[in-house]
Amino acid sequence: MNEEDKKAPYWNWLSAALALAGVIVFIFATFGPPASSSGFVSTVKGLLQVVAPDYVESKAHYRMIPGPGSWLMAFVLGMAMGGVVAGRTFKIPVRDVPELWEKRFGPSKIRRYAAAFIGGFLILFGSRLAGGCTLGLSISGSTQLAISGLYFGVVIFGAAMVTSRIVHGNGGKEET
Amino acid sequence: MITNIWLGLFSGVAFGFIIQRVGATNPNKMARAHLMVDSEIPRFMILAVALSALGLLGLQATGAPRTVILPTSLLATGVAAVIFGIGWGLTGYCPGTCWAAAGEGRMDAVFTLLGGLAGTAAFAQFHEVLIPALYLPTSIGPVTLADWLGSRALAAWVLAIGFALCAWAVGKLWGRRGLSS
Repeated sequence: MNEEDKKAPYWNWLSAALALAGVIVFIFATFGPPASSSGFVSTVKGLLQVVAPDYVESKAHYRMIPGPGSWLMAFVLGMAMGGVVAGRTFKIPVRDVPELWEKRFGPSKIRRYAAAFIGGFLILFGSRLAGGCTLGLSISGSTQLAISGLYFGVVIFGAAMVTSRIVHGNGGKEET
Repeated sequence: MITNIWLGLFSGVAFGFIIQRVGATNPNKMARAHLMVDSEIPRFMILAVALSALGLLGLQATGAPRTVILPTSLLATGVAAVIFGIGWGLTGYCPGTCWAAAGEGRMDAVFTLLGGLAGTAAFAQFHEVLIPALYLPTSIGPVTLADWLGSRALAAWVLAIGFALCAWAVGKLWGRRGLSS
């Protein structure tokens, strides 16, 4: 166990899974399948509608997702707010450069932010091609027994495990 | 419409709070999950799906919740998942966790969010080319386990039990590397 885990009062996975399943079922009961990558489309659509409304109107991807005044957009903003509340009431301070990353690439914030930006680009490009992300396709889809969700979930985990090993090298190995 | 916004906001706050508390917004913990050192996040996700599938089955018995089954495109869903996995392994955030992590005050999550907005705009630009080229030709339609097994209740239980076993297996397999060294 590393230092961070000893100090961090993280919830146990079992109780957290119960709590999250409660929220997911609540979302199905009051809205429909939860999604978060769609919130990105709503955000970009809202931004572009200000500067290039004709372009937005001409693109199929923006026509298929509602703009900012939607559940989808409210949900991602809500997640950010939930993060604020959770962060303010949590014992350990956050880091801008994760430990394992720093071990491999040093403390440079620029390097970490650049990688985080590229990673963000890839996860959203992939999500929009598949039609959903970890939540909107893998979790929502599997909950609805969709083969697409199960297939996506297995492949994203596999690809992330390989990538993480390449990125972090042996950094994940415990020292003790 | 306005009710929907309040519901979305409320659901988001609850969701964001929970994923922070289990450590899913911590990219270091996520990397340790991907490196098979820390099993908490994968077990949390897998069990949450198992329970949600049973919860949704219950909802469907009492009403008609809105469901959306996305088609499975052998090529596009697979290629998209590989692109997604590379990005996830690199940053340690996914499209949901980066919002909560940004709220938590993590600066690298803000950059993942910005990169995500750029990736969304890029995909939207090429949607008209990529969907007919990659997605549609290998799509087998919106198939579900229920179609294969012939019953929604049976399929939900098979999935829930299968996922619960996966959560157990992850707990057994993860962490070995850390303990043995």
